[in-house]
Amino acid sequence: MKLSLGWLKDYIDPKISTEELIERLTMAGLEVEGVEYIGKDIVLEIEITPNRPDCLYILGLAQEIGAITGQAVNPPKIKSAKTAQLKELIHIESKEDCSRYIGTLIKGVQIKDAPPEMKVRLASLGINAINNAVDITNFVLMETGQPLHAFDHDKIAGGKINVRRAKAGESIVTLDGIERKLDSSILVIADAQKPVAIAGIMGGRDSQITSSTKNILLESAHFDMGLIRRASRTLGLRSDSSYRFERNVSFAGVAIGSDRATELLLQLSGGQLSGRGEILSKAKSVAIKIKVKVSDIESLLGLKITPLKIKTWLSRLGFKVTAKAGVLTVTPPANRVDIGQDVDVIEEIARMIGFDHLPSKLPTIKAANIPVNKRPREIKDQIRRTLTAGGIDEIITHSMINTKALVKSNMADMPALRIFNPLNQDQELMRPVILPSFLQAVVTNFNRGQKDLRIFEIGKTYFKDKEKETLGILLTGRRTHDWRLSKKDSVEVLDLKGNLERIFKNISVSVIYGKTEMQVFDPGCAASIIVDGKQIGVLGKIDRKALNNWDIKNQDIYFAGLHLDEILSKPGKFVRYQAISEFPAIIRDVSLAVKKEVPYKKIEEICLQQGGDILRSVQFIEQYLGDKIQSGHKGLVFSCHYQSNIRTLREDEVNAAHERILQALTRDLGAVRR
Amino acid sequence: MQWNFQEIHQQAQTEAQAINSPQALEAFRLKYLGKKGLVAAVFASLGTADPSQKAAIGKGANDLRGLVEGLIAAKSAGISTAKVSGEQVDFSLPGTGEVLGHTHILTQTMQEIIAVFEQMGFVTIETPEIETEFNNFTGLNIPIDHPSRDAFDTFYLDAEDPSAQGRRLLLRSHTSPGQVRIMKQHKPPMAVIVPGRVYRPDAVDASHSFMFHQIEGLLVDEKVQFSELKGLLTEFCRRFFGPKVVMRFRPHFFPFTEPSAEVDINAEILGIQRKKWLEILGCGMVNPKVFEAVGYPKGKYKGFAFGMGVERMAMLKYGINDIRLFYENDARFLKQF
Repeated sequence: MKLSLGWLKDYIDPKISTEELIERLTMAGLEVEGVEYIGKDIVLEIEITPNRPDCLYILGLAQEIGAITGQAVNPPKIKSAKTAQLKELIHIESKEDCSRYIGTLIKGVQIKDAPPEMKVRLASLGINAINNAVDITNFVLMETGQPLHAFDHDKIAGGKINVRRAKAGESIVTLDGIERKLDSSILVIADAQKPVAIAGIMGGRDSQITSSTKNILLESAHFDMGLIRRASRTLGLRSDSSYRFERNVSFAGVAIGSDRATELLLQLSGGQLSGRGEILSKAKSVAIKIKVKVSDIESLLGLKITPLKIKTWLSRLGFKVTAKAGVLTVTPPANRVDIGQDVDVIEEIARMIGFDHLPSKLPTIKAANIPVNKRPREIKDQIRRTLTAGGIDEIITHSMINTKALVKSNMADMPALRIFNPLNQDQELMRPVILPSFLQAVVTNFNRGQKDLRIFEIGKTYFKDKEKETLGILLTGRRTHDWRLSKKDSVEVLDLKGNLERIFKNISVSVIYGKTEMQVFDPGCAASIIVDGKQIGVLGKIDRKALNNWDIKNQDIYFAGLHLDEILSKPGKFVRYQAISEFPAIIRDVSLAVKKEVPYKKIEEICLQQGGDILRSVQFIEQYLGDKIQSGHKGLVFSCHYQSNIRTLREDEVNAAHERILQALTRDLGAVRR
Repeated sequence: MQWNFQEIHQQAQTEAQAINSPQALEAFRLKYLGKKGLVAAVFASLGTADPSQKAAIGKGANDLRGLVEGLIAAKSAGISTAKVSGEQVDFSLPGTGEVLGHTHILTQTMQEIIAVFEQMGFVTIETPEIETEFNNFTGLNIPIDHPSRDAFDTFYLDAEDPSAQGRRLLLRSHTSPGQVRIMKQHKPPMAVIVPGRVYRPDAVDASHSFMFHQIEGLLVDEKVQFSELKGLLTEFCRRFFGPKVVMRFRPHFFPFTEPSAEVDINAEILGIQRKKWLEILGCGMVNPKVFEAVGYPKGKYKGFAFGMGVERMAMLKYGINDIRLFYENDARFLKQF
C-alpha cells in the first residue's frame, strides 16, 4: 500500500520527521519497504499484512498513525445523503454473497476532468486520472477503503440491477477490453439482459462512464471475501477493489464510502441526487465485545501494566474500553475486522508499547519434555561422519524430477507420485528413486571439468502413501587423489561396498548381498543389500546404455541406493567387553584355486565350521583372476588365525584343525592348493 | 714430553663452542677421547715421563678427560644425537592420505541451529513432507480462500487425502504443520524443533527456490510468556551470529500466532552495508485457535512458536549470494565448507 504523506496531512499532522515516522510505522507492524519522491510529495510503500484491511486506505492509516504518535486525526465530515428510497433499483438474488448493497442515482451529471488537487492525490498513489466520476470512485476507495463502481445508468437495461451468480455461457467485456467467460462460481451485477459488472472485481465496458454519460448509478457494496478471492483467481483478474474485498471490507464502510462519493459527485459534476436503494441481506453486525483479563495481559507479555494505561493505548486505536474488577470489556472500531479474541487485543497493547520495550528472559524448559527416539538422527549423523571420513562429499538435490530422468535411467516403468500443479515439466514427479538426482549432479560436474566425484545424499524418496529416508552414494573417477597410495587407477564397486560395510559395522547391522535384476546396473557387477531377509537397497556399476542416455562418457559410475528406515529404527548392539588373549596367535596362510563361481563367503564359512574353538578369524588377503591358473578358476589367498584365551596352543592341534579345513575345502568346493 | 694443560683446556673449550652438528661432536670426541685421541696420548706419555712429572701428567689427563666429557654432555643436549640415516625429507611436500569429505553446508547450518536449541532443552522431531490440508492450513488457522494463504502457495499431489474426501495431499509449504502433528500426538509440556524440506511453487532465481529448508520451534506449557520467546531467540542469535548481534522484534502477522513478530538483526554484524536490518525469522505466541484445532482444552495452555529458513541463515552467515548453489552440488562449492 502506498501512503502519500501529502494526502495523509489532510487528516493528521504526525509532528515527527519522515525518518521517525518510517521507524515507528515499521516497529508497529507496518513495515515501510520503500520511499518515493513524487513532486513535492513523499510516498511510502508499506507492507500491509493480510489481517489489516483497515490499513489499505489513507484514513485507516491516519488512524493508526494517530495511535502511534498520539496526534489527533481529523477525518472529513461525511454527511449521510438524504434522498428518496428507490426500493426497485436494487435486487439481491444471491443473498449469501452480498450482505449489503447501496445504489445511488445521480442525474444530470457533467463528465469532465476531476480538479487538479484530486488528480495529484491519485497520481501520488500511481492511479491514472480518467474523468471526474471514475476519479471520485478511486479517490474515495483510497480515502475510505470502500470499493465503489459508477455505472452509466442509461446503459443499464431496464434501469435496475440484480446481484446474482453468472449463468453458464454468459460473458462480459470488462473495462480493460477483455472478454471474460463467466460461470456460476462468479458473482455479477446484471441488468435485465446481461451482466454489467463482475461483482467486486471489475466493471463492464458497455456500462462504463463516458463523456456522454448523464445519469450515474453509484454502487457501494459488501461482497463475500472468499467468493471474490476465488473468482479473482478463476478469472486471473485482480484490481484494487478485489484486493480489498478479499481482505474483507468493513460492513459499516459501505455507507461511508457511498455518502462520501455521492457528496463529491454532487459537488464536482453538477448532478442531482435522485434517490437511493439499499438492501441489507444480513442483519447489521452488532459491535463485538471482547473480555480481556488484565492478569492475562500481564502473564502473556510478562510485565505489570495498569488498566488506565491499557485504556489510553486502546482508545488511541479507536477501541471502546470499560474496566471492571481487573477485566476489560473492549469493542474494536468497525474497521478492525482482525480483532476477535482476547489475544488480538493483547497484541494491540504489545504493539503500542513496542515489542522492543517488552521484557526478555530465558524460558524454563521442563525436563518432562515429550519422548523422542533420538536413534534415527544419531544414525544419520553417524552415516555422514563415516562417509565424509572416507572422502565423500554430501550433496543436497531436489526432491522433484521429470519423467525423462526415469526413462534415461532405464526406469521408465517405475511408478511415481505426480505433482498436480507443477511449476514446469522438470519438476513433475516426486522422485521414487534417488539415482537420477545423482546422475544430474554428475552431469553438472562433468560439464565443469570435475570428473573425480564421490558424493552422497541422505534424502527422501516418495511413494503413493509414504516417504522413505534414502541414502545414495556415488563414486567415479580416480580412486585417490594421492597417486602415492593408489594401486589401481579408478574406483571399483568394492570401494562402494567398503563404505557400506563401515556404515553397517558402525551401527551394528548385519547384511547379506544378494542378486538384483535392476536394469540400471551392469548385470555382473551389481548386488542387492539384504537386512533381516528384506531387500533394502542395491549397489553396482551403472549400465553403459543408461550412462549414454545421460551423456556420461568414458567413465564408470558406481552407485549404491538404500532405504534407511529399516536400519534407522534398529536399537544398536550393546557391546560387552571380551578379554584380550595373553597367549600367542598362530597364523597359517592358505593359497587355493577354486572355480570362479565359488563365493569367498562360502570358503570362510567352511573354515569357521571346521576350525573349531581355536580358529579365531579368517582374513582375506588377495584374489587372483589372471591367466596363470586353470581356466574357469580363480586364486584366493587368506589366513587362518588360531588362538586360545586360556593357554598356548600346541603345534599339533593347530595342524589338525588346519588340515580339517583344507580337506573340507577340497571335498566340498574342489579347491586345489597352490 | 711437556703438556701445556692450560692451553689444551682453552683449545678444547674453543673447539667445543664451534660444534653445531652431531658429526662435529663425534669428531671432537674422537680427537680427545678416541683410542688415538689426546687423552690417550697423554696417558701414553706417562711411560716416558720424568717420574717427578708423572703425578701432574696423570692428574692433567684425568682433568682433561673430565673437561671434555663435560663439554660433550653439555653440547649433546643441544644437538640431536640420533643415528644419522642420511635421509633428507622435504617437509614442504604434502602429507599422504585421503582428504576428508564435506558435510553439505545446509546440513551443517541445520545441525548448528538445532544444537543451540537442543543445548537449551529442546528435542528434535522430523515430520513428513507430504501433508494434509488440515495440518498445513486449517489446523493452523489458515482458512481456505483467505489471503493469508497467499504467502503459502502450495504444490498439490496427485493423491487423495485419506482423511478428507475429495481433497488432495500436498507438499508442506512450511514446517509449521509439524506443530499440529506433534500437538495432536502429545500433551504439553513440550519444547520441540522440527527441521526439514518445504516446497512452494516459486519461480527459481538467486533468492527463490521451489524447495528449501526450514526449522520450526514450538514450546507449549501452562504458563508461557512473550518475554520468554524474546529471551530464547535473543540467546539463539547471540550463539549463532555472535555476542555482538543487535536484534529487533517487529510486529507482524501469522495466522497461527498472536501476537506475531518478525526478528531482524543488524546487517553490520555480517558486513553487509546496503541495508541496516536483515529479517531472519518469524515467531509469535501460539494462537488459541491452533490449540483448539489440535483438541487441547480451552485456555489451558500457552505457547510460542518460531520458524526460520535454513538457506537464508546460511546465505547470511557465510555470504552465499545465490540460493541455487545449494542444490547444484558443484564439487568446488561443496568442498569449501
